[in-house]
Amino acid sequence: MADRLARVALAKVAEPGNPRLLDLVTDLGAEVVHARLLQHDELGQRLAEIEPERELDAAARQGVRFVVPGDEEWPSGLDDLRSADPVQERGGVPIGLWVRGPLRLSRLEGSLAVVGSRSSTTDGADLAADLAATVGRAGRAIVSGAAYGIDHAAHRGAITVGAPTVAVLACGADRVYPAKHQQLIDHLAAQGAVVSETVPGGAPMRVRFLSRNRLIAALSVGTVVVEAALRSGALNTANWATRLNRQLMGVPGPVTSAQSAGVHQVIRSGAATLVTSGEEVLELLGAVGEHVLDQPRGKDRPRDALSHVQRRVLDAVPVSRSATSRSIARVVGLAVDEVHTTLQALERSGMVECDEDGWRLAALAHD
Amino acid sequence: MPFATAHTVSLHGAVGHLIDVQTDVSPGQVGVTMVGRADTTINEARDRCRMAIINSGLDWPATRRITILLSPADLLKSGTHFDLAVAVSVLAAAGSVPASSLAQTVFIGELTLDGNLRASAGVLPMVMAAAERGVRAVFVPEPQAGEASMVPDMSVVGVRSLSQVVAVLRQEEIPEAPPVAPMSGARLLAWRGQERLDELDLADLLGIADARFAVEVAAAGGHHLLLSGPKGCGKTSLVERIQGILPDLTRDESLEVSAIRSLAGTLDPGEGFPTRPPFSAPHHDASKASLIGGGFGVVRPGEVSKAHTGVLFLDEFPLFRADVIEALRQPLENGDVTIARRDESVTLPARGMVVLAANPCPCGDYSGDVTNNRCTCRETQRRDYRNKVTGPVTDRVDIVRNLRPLRTHDLVTDLEPAESSAVVRRRVEAARDRQAERYAEESWRLNGHAPGPVLRERWPLTKAGQQAVDKRVYDGKLSRRGATRVHRLAWTVADLRGLEHPGLDEVDTALRLRTGDPLLVSMIERAS
Repeated sequence: MADRLARVALAKVAEPGNPRLLDLVTDLGAEVVHARLLQHDELGQRLAEIEPERELDAAARQGVRFVVPGDEEWPSGLDDLRSADPVQERGGVPIGLWVRGPLRLSRLEGSLAVVGSRSSTTDGADLAADLAATVGRAGRAIVSGAAYGIDHAAHRGAITVGAPTVAVLACGADRVYPAKHQQLIDHLAAQGAVVSETVPGGAPMRVRFLSRNRLIAALSVGTVVVEAALRSGALNTANWATRLNRQLMGVPGPVTSAQSAGVHQVIRSGAATLVTSGEEVLELLGAVGEHVLDQPRGKDRPRDALSHVQRRVLDAVPVSRSATSRSIARVVGLAVDEVHTTLQALERSGMVECDEDGWRLAALAHD
Repeated sequence: MPFATAHTVSLHGAVGHLIDVQTDVSPGQVGVTMVGRADTTINEARDRCRMAIINSGLDWPATRRITILLSPADLLKSGTHFDLAVAVSVLAAAGSVPASSLAQTVFIGELTLDGNLRASAGVLPMVMAAAERGVRAVFVPEPQAGEASMVPDMSVVGVRSLSQVVAVLRQEEIPEAPPVAPMSGARLLAWRGQERLDELDLADLLGIADARFAVEVAAAGGHHLLLSGPKGCGKTSLVERIQGILPDLTRDESLEVSAIRSLAGTLDPGEGFPTRPPFSAPHHDASKASLIGGGFGVVRPGEVSKAHTGVLFLDEFPLFRADVIEALRQPLENGDVTIARRDESVTLPARGMVVLAANPCPCGDYSGDVTNNRCTCRETQRRDYRNKVTGPVTDRVDIVRNLRPLRTHDLVTDLEPAESSAVVRRRVEAARDRQAERYAEESWRLNGHAPGPVLRERWPLTKAGQQAVDKRVYDGKLSRRGATRVHRLAWTVADLRGLEHPGLDEVDTALRLRTGDPLLVSMIERAS
């Protein structure tokens, strides 16, 4: 039996993210594993009953294709899952991915995963959308789930700027979950891609979200967590990103906000880098020297350029009523000559003014 | 019989007192005396009535002493609409009309010297007050018969002149008289775009999901709302659409609105009962009297009262004068407004939603978001401005929302087209129906008006919900007054979601609405 068909059959019987089986498939090849399992009593019978061609045809009628390792569009990032240890007994390179939508998965090279809480705040959702839009504008694809909150916002941000965007689902790629996101998932299936390791028709069971999370981390080169409570699936994705040596980033929120507590935890533990904007994400994801940002800093003030002595003298110059060089020198505690020369220099730079009574601050120095 | 009593009504704000105009015509020193705390306008009635009676071809008892008492005598009375009652009672006392025909009947109208009637302001509340006191028939100037007919079970006689009144009382044929000019010239001025607000729909607005939800809650429960955000973020556009999501007025509300318009002299009875809630948006240089109410003699309702059952929108709220802002405290808290004068204290209803909009700083560009901040104000300017916004008035506001400038991602419409006003209005109506059912036996209609102690006793929060509120109070993040407002809001959120009782999530939503913290996306999703 051909590799692809063997994989279809195995995908039908295997639960997504079963690390033992997936590692066997990666090491021995799908045909070998398939042949061996056929000899198994119960499982063998179930395998034998599967007609892979018909499965592929049925999927194709739903607009779903099956992408396997070795295909041109197979995203190489997924192969990193072979060497990563399982998390919560899930792991391994997927047998194949069911994909609905025109976007080729190879396009996900250099993509960013945006994850976070389903019950995010509206501020968090705005940030996620903004960040996805900035990263998308730089030509990078966005990977996320299809849940409420941050996932939805991330896709919306990417769609706004016409960036490729992909939702990885825990249910079959032909299904819509959550049902309220029909429009979002339809849009992704028409413009981007909807991806799942679960066979078409499969239900969104809880454990499948854990398997799904490893794909989100593996498909992208970096994961940014926007809002996540202490017990959040987004932290599972973050864990995978670390395990896969992907860049992990966190957007902080108000320190008292429960919605950001999980993000703060991963930043504090040193696993994630703090980012506050899409530009900062790009800087981290890019090659050295690419997208380098200027250090953010306050506005320059005229006083910044002065020497220590000049500042001391300037501090002693009165605001409104003029004072003589002599009285200023007395306040500063420097020689009159030195003070006088300094004041003349300050006058040339427009910081002080001179009238018949002496020196006073010019408007420039009021700031 | 040389003695007769006619009835009319004296208005003190929205409260009407039934006044007996008693006239005694008896031998004695010739003259007319009027007693019973009448002001100048009523004292002049003597002359107007005398000339009107004579010019109507009727007999003025010129050779006897006429004493007119306005009873109760301790009440200060004012207004020219007493004329008709005075004239009729003199005629009855003199025997020109049967005194028995004046029983259970109220006379309203100002007389001219030729005996014709003029329209008066406030006919509807007067007739409402008369109906309360068991009066079943009124004589009003003809243009205001429609207004008076709004009161159920009232037989209304619209008349043009004193002779017509006399003819009706004598059950004779009604003589011709020139028509009476209507009260206001409001309809003289009409312009295109006048009905602009009716055309606006929430579907036109993109993004600002958070503020849209806040507006929905405010409309459902009659809560006051403060929107803050940089200029151009959609505050005004959003508020102008609130009227569109409010349900039609109930019959009671409609009558109240009509009564207030009648007091203000802006009721157009030709339009019948108002069905849509009022929307009032005074400019920020409005005077205290125009906003709160006032005027000479008769107290005119201000914008807070004209917006009763509807929306009072104060855009650029910090630009209003300090005394005007301070004066808003009472209407915000109690839903009415009391105007005290030397001789009288008048209370008018003012139970509309108050919506305040404020820029974050004088230039309007300040944003907490460092990448977006184009503000040119100095820190001290910003502080002064903020101090005007916060304070006693904002403590009385239920919902505080901070809007962000629009982002590009707000402009995506194909994912989730913005909901139309009609859809939101249906939800608001359903939520109001639940409140009407719950408060059927009470004196208030909406959660926003429910008194705190009653709410706590009869419609308490769950234990966990109350603890969440109490914690905020102990932490000093919420005032006691704020806690009551959270309680009311939690009920409104529950009503919008169709729940029997507010749970922890509704309380959390209410706390966020109140404190200005961002809402959770799930809170907005659950409502729709």
